[in-house]
Amino acid sequence: MRVAFWPGCVSKGACPELYVSTQKVAEALGLELLELYEAPCCGAGVLSEQNTALMDSLNGLTLAMAERVGADLMTICSTCQGVLSNHNYHLKNDPLRLSAANKVLADSGYEYKGTTTVKHLLWILVEDIGLDKIRPLIKHKLTGLKIAPFYGCYILRPEEYLGLKERPERSTYLEQLIELVGGEAVEYHGKTKCCGFPMVTMNRDKALAMGGNHILEAKEKGADLLVTPCPLCHLNLDAQQPDAGRVLKRTIDTPIFHLPQLLGLAFGYSAEELRLNHHVVSTTRALEKVELKV
Amino acid sequence: MQWTVVVGRYSPPGDPQPKGEMGPAFREPYQNAPRKTYQTFKVDLPDHAMVLDALIHIREYEDESLAVRCACRSAICGSCAMWVNGHARLVCTSKLREHTKDGKVVVEAPPSMPIVKDLVCDMTPFWRKNMSVKPWLQNKQPVPQGEEYRVPNAAMENLIQEVSCISCGACLMDCESFAVNQNFLGPAALAKAYRYTADPRDADTDVRLREYSESNGVWDCTHCYECVQVCPKGVAPLDQILKLRKLAVDAGFTDNAGTRHADAFAESVRDSGRLNELTLSPKSLGLFNIPAQLQTLPAAFNLLRAGKLPPLIHPKIPNVERIKNIFKKIGERFK
Amino acid sequence: MESAVIIDHDVVVIGAGLAGMRAALEAARNGAQVAVVSKVHPVRSHSGAAQGGINAAIAAGDSWETHAFDTIKGSDYLADQDAVEIMCREAPGDIIELEHMGVIFYRNEDGKLGTRAFGGASKARTYFVGDITGQALLYALYDQLLKAGCKVYEEWFVTSLWMVDGACRGAVALDMIKGDLALLRAKAVIVASGGMGRVYEPSTNALICTGDGIALAYRAGAPVMDMEMVQYHPTTLKGSGFLMTEAARGEGAYLLNNKGERFMLTYAPTMKELASRDVVSRAETQEIAAGRGVDLCVLLDLRHLGADVVLKKLPQIHEMALDFLNIDMLKDPVPVRPGMHYIMGGVKTDAGARTPVPGLYAAGECACVSVHGGNRLGANSLLDTLVFGRHGGRNAAADVKKVTAMPSDSAGEQLLAAEQRRVQSLCDRPVTGESHAKLRLQLGTLMDEKVGVYRDEAGLRDALAQINDLQKRFETVAVRDRSRVFNQALTFALELGFMLDCAEATVISAIDRTESRGAHYRTDYPQRNDAQWLKHIEVTRRDGAASAISYLPVTITKWQPQERKY
Repeated sequence: MRVAFWPGCVSKGACPELYVSTQKVAEALGLELLELYEAPCCGAGVLSEQNTALMDSLNGLTLAMAERVGADLMTICSTCQGVLSNHNYHLKNDPLRLSAANKVLADSGYEYKGTTTVKHLLWILVEDIGLDKIRPLIKHKLTGLKIAPFYGCYILRPEEYLGLKERPERSTYLEQLIELVGGEAVEYHGKTKCCGFPMVTMNRDKALAMGGNHILEAKEKGADLLVTPCPLCHLNLDAQQPDAGRVLKRTIDTPIFHLPQLLGLAFGYSAEELRLNHHVVSTTRALEKVELKV
Repeated sequence: MQWTVVVGRYSPPGDPQPKGEMGPAFREPYQNAPRKTYQTFKVDLPDHAMVLDALIHIREYEDESLAVRCACRSAICGSCAMWVNGHARLVCTSKLREHTKDGKVVVEAPPSMPIVKDLVCDMTPFWRKNMSVKPWLQNKQPVPQGEEYRVPNAAMENLIQEVSCISCGACLMDCESFAVNQNFLGPAALAKAYRYTADPRDADTDVRLREYSESNGVWDCTHCYECVQVCPKGVAPLDQILKLRKLAVDAGFTDNAGTRHADAFAESVRDSGRLNELTLSPKSLGLFNIPAQLQTLPAAFNLLRAGKLPPLIHPKIPNVERIKNIFKKIGERFK
Repeated sequence: MESAVIIDHDVVVIGAGLAGMRAALEAARNGAQVAVVSKVHPVRSHSGAAQGGINAAIAAGDSWETHAFDTIKGSDYLADQDAVEIMCREAPGDIIELEHMGVIFYRNEDGKLGTRAFGGASKARTYFVGDITGQALLYALYDQLLKAGCKVYEEWFVTSLWMVDGACRGAVALDMIKGDLALLRAKAVIVASGGMGRVYEPSTNALICTGDGIALAYRAGAPVMDMEMVQYHPTTLKGSGFLMTEAARGEGAYLLNNKGERFMLTYAPTMKELASRDVVSRAETQEIAAGRGVDLCVLLDLRHLGADVVLKKLPQIHEMALDFLNIDMLKDPVPVRPGMHYIMGGVKTDAGARTPVPGLYAAGECACVSVHGGNRLGANSLLDTLVFGRHGGRNAAADVKKVTAMPSDSAGEQLLAAEQRRVQSLCDRPVTGESHAKLRLQLGTLMDEKVGVYRDEAGLRDALAQINDLQKRFETVAVRDRSRVFNQALTFALELGFMLDCAEATVISAIDRTESRGAHYRTDYPQRNDAQWLKHIEVTRRDGAASAISYLPVTITKWQPQERKY
């Protein structure tokens, strides 16, 4: 299977471990990644609210690039998934917005025809590749590891842009993969709630409290680690975890894994290859639990 | 069909206490919510019955002391919002069939609001927040004598999304920002703020926009779509908040982190095609805002130590001119 | 309860729906110190469920006289024409005032208010906001009430009115949050507590519509009038009884029988589906009785209207059909049947919202001026609430200036103590007593069967006997909740008492009127009989004796009664 690969900005910036582990997992799965090197940032929703037409054009460009490649557009960031799905929905359903975007893109030599499907790696794993094809690739079962899924907002809401009305089961894929790799999924209220990232510059303490609360809840329910499909969530939950702990006056000390890192471990890649030694919150304890070292 | 409904009961001190096992304490951010006693009821109702039908049945035939607010039974009065399996919903339009998980439906007053009794929460925070946005028309002068203001139907249709709000409170009940910050105005109040701000007949647009741009206003929303998800009437409060943000920025209320954040973000995308995380935070906080800058130093240091600090020289994508031209053409504020 | 709580106001309004809030606003604007008491938060009031619109003769080519005639004809000539004239003349002013309050009425291309067609109206004069007009108006009024800083006692349940020397001087209310009784002492009380739909089962009405104010006034000695005039709405959703707005028919929906025929063409050749509600309800009942129904319903068909009209102008009912019956109106017709919807009758008032009892006023559905007579036109109720709410507020504010002596604190304390004992004795009944829910269901079912669309003497007398029996059983209804805070078992029991009083007055009046007029159809007296019955039936409660029946002539100004054809 081949996909037009949109890695987003953060996996090339503050979360290089996501990019690297994605490559490894794709290699194992035989998933050909045709990276869109010239695609622009999706705007993370921040820009869409101030200038929708601008983001229709920028995201339209990314969508048109995928169209040219002739494959589904794969994201590895919930935020990219959410924003691109949002703009894609409107470009596909609102002819005025599509024609306005294409007018702007004409100068760049691109025209979006509305045929691209945007899919997060999480969905591709379950829907396109299928758990049965992934199972034989698992060399190292993560038995005994209690893993709390943290979806984050933009891969779940709003439902209509993300195909969740047609496929409500998309809100269970993390648990399915956790179980596939031999782990035990931890059920907790915060798994679908916000990590606080969108507000971290506007109200730092409250934003950090949000994410911190969710990790603490999962920890109290026995989680050894959280796994998330969004690098922005990862930044708030991992990079900011020490500060979140300070705000909440609690020791959190719970590692946050990216989705491809979890899979990568199960596939037999080493923790170093997956850059699990390059987190702010140490992953050592969790890895030791499944007899892995970093 | 037999349905199993687990009801979170609570009685204030001094009143007869519900019988049964007390449930666990709520953890942050709901640590102020009192513990509840969860009682299990089995009711016989048709396949298409709603959770409210079950609660009314329990109240009428099994336990008359169960307190539930309800009136219209059809998602108009907004009385019956509460937690159904941990998410805020109107129980009058929640099908038992759809919400039975692992053989049961769990209903309780949301722990995010103070509680009165059983399924009746204290909606005072909700009403106070609504009140504080001055939700009434401040008539633009002159008021037409003996006839209506002339306004296009489109301007009225623009407001109908918010006017569909039935004040059920579900959005506030499940608002994550409100959960960690009790002073946040919240989705419903801000949506109502938009309704009056965007009404062409209102005279106080600028006053309103200034107020809502301040702390606990539009920029304290964490943009998570939870309110859009739980709203039973399609009000999409977040969408109203975003429209309010744009109105505020366009009106010049830009001296806030939210606007600086958007400007810094746009600048980065325009110049390089990608987000420069390194400069985003400092620029959003305001380069002269030393205390705020200092606050972020530990995190920056941690990133550095973990080898996650983004490159100091931010790379541009190939053919970045393409992006610059798009900004030049329709970038408006971000040109 | 340690010390008696007596709170003073000039005017107390009972009920915070459209009529109540409009009355409060007007009283405040006229210098009175006002408070509103409501057993639910104001925005939960049933006014919010009104869907279709509000009438006014504003458009060119329309006139208040035409509106008045349509209303009077619709009422089957039982409406008092002087009051109708006032309502129709003042309607345009009230609509404009609403618009200035911020209501987002639908507009035409020129930016002026636009209309839709509605039942019984010879010209389109219904102003609307999607299919949520009542909600839009309710919030506009509530927002204005907030702006005016008016005091609202929300979730306070009124248990009785305070009568002193034949005048109303306040009300006793139960603060449901604290569980204490308080006396609201006032120079004027405006009852605006809405209708009594829950006396019938099924009904379009919310569970809170239990005729509280009608019964409170009735018990205080105010006469109730036209109580036999109970409106059945032709299009209520099968099963639940939820309202499917008349606006659907206003936008062009059809009513079909099981043969797919538009049967209204036979019953009302001119107005067809938009004939007045009693005519349509009777037509549907006949079709169903003749075996041409579908599951004891008829079909409301909107398919030909298209997505644009349905989703933009009737989104709420589209949603409701999906939610409650899993039917998409764009693809399939919806089964509907006549369901009890509105009471034309109520507390007798003049056109100034004054009852014959000094200090007591009434407005809105709970009042009977009468502007609706034997049958109410759609979109006239919202108008009624605003016009007479306004009159009530203004008159109450003016009248209180003349009130000099008020009853003393000790008189108030005695009253509170007596009311406390009464309520306590209700709570102290043996827990093995009757169930309020069971009695309520029995009442509702018997009313629908015997005092519904078609009535006859035997059925009505049987209904009265059953109601009397229920009233006896009511004396042993137990309150199986010993809480102070939010004791709904107590308030439901109190409501049941109110409902029984309303039901009794309705049946007494229905037995008395030996003719058919408007919504009151006697199979044993199928003709309208102006010679004998061009009058209102009043029922007044008497202590220790059967209620007294009296008559009031209908006020005729311009329009002589004619045969009513649609």
